Amino acid sequence: MASRWVKTALVTLTAAAVATVTACSSSGAPNSAGKTVTLDFWGSAIGYDKSVARWNQTHSDIKINYAQIAAGSAGGYAKMQNAVKAGNAPCLGQVGYDTLPDFVVTGAAQDISQYANADKSQFTPWTWQMTGFGGKVFGIPVDAGPEALFYRADLFEQYGITPPKTWSEFAADAEKVHAANPAAYLTTTPQDAYDLGALTWQAGGKWFGTGDNQWQVTIDSPTTRQVADYWQGLLGKHLATSESTLDTAWFKDVQNGKVLSLVSAVWAAPLIAQGLPGLSGKWAVAPMPQWTPGQAATGSRGGSATVVLTGCKYPQQATEFADWLSTNSDSVTNLIKNTGIYPAATSGQDLPAVNQPSAYFGGQNIYQVFKTAAANISPSWGWGPTMVQVQSEMKHGLKLAGTGQGTIPQAVTAVQADTVTAMKSQGLSVSGG
Amino acid sequence: MTMTNPGGSSFARPRASEGGGRALSRRHDRSAVMFLMPFGLLFTTMMLLPMGYALYQSFFKVQRSGLGLQPAAKVFAGLGNYVTAVRDSAFMSSLLRVFMLGVVQVPVMLGLALALALLLDSRSAAFKRTFRLTYFMPYALPGVIAAIMWSFLYEPSVSPFTAGLRHLGLNVNFLSGNLVLGSIGNMITWGWTGFNMLIIYSALQAIPGELTEAAVMDGCGAWRVAWHMKIPAVRPALILTTVFSIIGTAQLFNEPQVLQQVAPTISPSYTPIMAAQQAADINDYNYAATESVILALLTFVLSFGFLKFAQRKGDSE
Repeated sequence: MASRWVKTALVTLTAAAVATVTACSSSGAPNSAGKTVTLDFWGSAIGYDKSVARWNQTHSDIKINYAQIAAGSAGGYAKMQNAVKAGNAPCLGQVGYDTLPDFVVTGAAQDISQYANADKSQFTPWTWQMTGFGGKVFGIPVDAGPEALFYRADLFEQYGITPPKTWSEFAADAEKVHAANPAAYLTTTPQDAYDLGALTWQAGGKWFGTGDNQWQVTIDSPTTRQVADYWQGLLGKHLATSESTLDTAWFKDVQNGKVLSLVSAVWAAPLIAQGLPGLSGKWAVAPMPQWTPGQAATGSRGGSATVVLTGCKYPQQATEFADWLSTNSDSVTNLIKNTGIYPAATSGQDLPAVNQPSAYFGGQNIYQVFKTAAANISPSWGWGPTMVQVQSEMKHGLKLAGTGQGTIPQAVTAVQADTVTAMKSQGLSVSGG
Repeated sequence: MTMTNPGGSSFARPRASEGGGRALSRRHDRSAVMFLMPFGLLFTTMMLLPMGYALYQSFFKVQRSGLGLQPAAKVFAGLGNYVTAVRDSAFMSSLLRVFMLGVVQVPVMLGLALALALLLDSRSAAFKRTFRLTYFMPYALPGVIAAIMWSFLYEPSVSPFTAGLRHLGLNVNFLSGNLVLGSIGNMITWGWTGFNMLIIYSALQAIPGELTEAAVMDGCGAWRVAWHMKIPAVRPALILTTVFSIIGTAQLFNEPQVLQQVAPTISPSYTPIMAAQQAADINDYNYAATESVILALLTFVLSFGFLKFAQRKGDSE
């Protein structure tokens, strides 16, 4: 028989349950009104805080509260999305170009076209493309990741090869290296969606399009196939090795002369310098090999924008700060030095910090290569709204190809089908299925 | 017997009258409820509420249109998500995979745990405490750390096992398509046998000494004592560990997720929870909730079904 106490207990539990539910749905506190506007900014890159401090020193009407959070893919993006859902998101967030469409589709990013369009001319055209689609702008680009060929100048000399200018030269050089030393490889094969994406970007292809109010998914396109077949060819003839790059195992292999070069973005330079201090002076940078002789096309990898999140009550002020962060010479110099970025702003690319010789790379001004590269990146590339899914499946498929249990073209076909399904499951209009 | 109520009057002795009986049971109810309240509060807010929320979410779908630039609409989908999940071959095969793993791994692990517990309990066992600690240590190691360690032990280029077998002329890749599920089963067995062994061992310790003496006096050797007396006596512990293991295997996530870094044969949706995580990664929380509910229902049916089966079998003996 239920006594009075049991009934009381049940009532208390129900009250606790109701209280929890209502507490969870309360809206966030508004920013302070009046003369000074305070905005929250969540970022993960080290060094952003110094630029924010500089802004706060020189601006009294808008104050920025910077908070360092985990890297996007390590939970930072989930934190931002959850905060938007809960109604207490910061005004500004650091979001990678590849994840920006995801934020837009989930309604986490705010359309700031009316405030931002005036700043468009300050940035390299393709970086501006990365901050929006469908004719709308959602953030201000901060940095760029133009790719080039990092190579061991000393080992190239040893094997009698020079930095290849075309991909067919590259394949010939790979054969030469492997014939001379079966334990050595000219380079590693693409390991994930961003490796393959940048290579496809360079070849003039695109994976995602937004026309006719519809998404076009063209991961499995002739251009991607061209790139995939090329690398599968190298892999099949054991002229390139499949292993993940810029980690402990890779550093060991490079130290031992097992891998001679790496196609990667500008931000790999400090990583190589930090991971292989003993090889200082032995590295150099050359432009990416081309498909058509005489061209200078390249792809980009990484790079982020400062996005204004949904729920921000001061989008104009937020946009003003974001633009300052990316174009003010003090701010950009700090970001170059402490965050290790290559600026998306054209004025930033002329700063002395990114125009000086690099001792690690044998005194070469490597940024000259990247500046030319940054100017030759096609603005017709776009990312899709489900890049976490694309990345995890492409990684899986490319790893299978690396161990001979599949091929790179097969991985591409599988990811195409799965991406269309994933996007359709979100209710988006998709063609390319 | 005198009972004192800290908040009220004291009783000289329990009275058999109606009024006294009711007051006594009221006091019992109040004490019981006071003790259960903290657990009840936490259980309701941390377990029941989120479960209810997930169930609620599984009946909805987020509808976007075109490029997704317009705000999304939350639409009631009824059982639509469930139909999608049943038709999702990756999810269905992850459920089957985990079931197949459980069918083999759970009996093997519990058999091993039982054998170790019996050995520890036998009269001729030496260094009992040392062995108990050794068998329990794998469980003390955090799951992800253990998985990282095993990924080095399995990865063909650095694995000492692969190297050793190569010396014997055998070319074994523990992460190949045929062997990877067994390798994962091995990791789970290594990590959890000690834990289950301890539960069974405690149950063995609780067997009254007279029973063992009686069996020995009747002429039973050690094996027969174990088979006819000890194992039936620890039946409840065996049932408990089996139910826990079924639930644990159904929720498999750590080991395949970590091994994925080195094993290309592990797909992103290898186990049901990995599949649900995949859905959450593309912001399809409703579908993730659906997959979780389906997994929970199947786990409940299996574990509760086993419990009922074991109890009924026990009753019939």
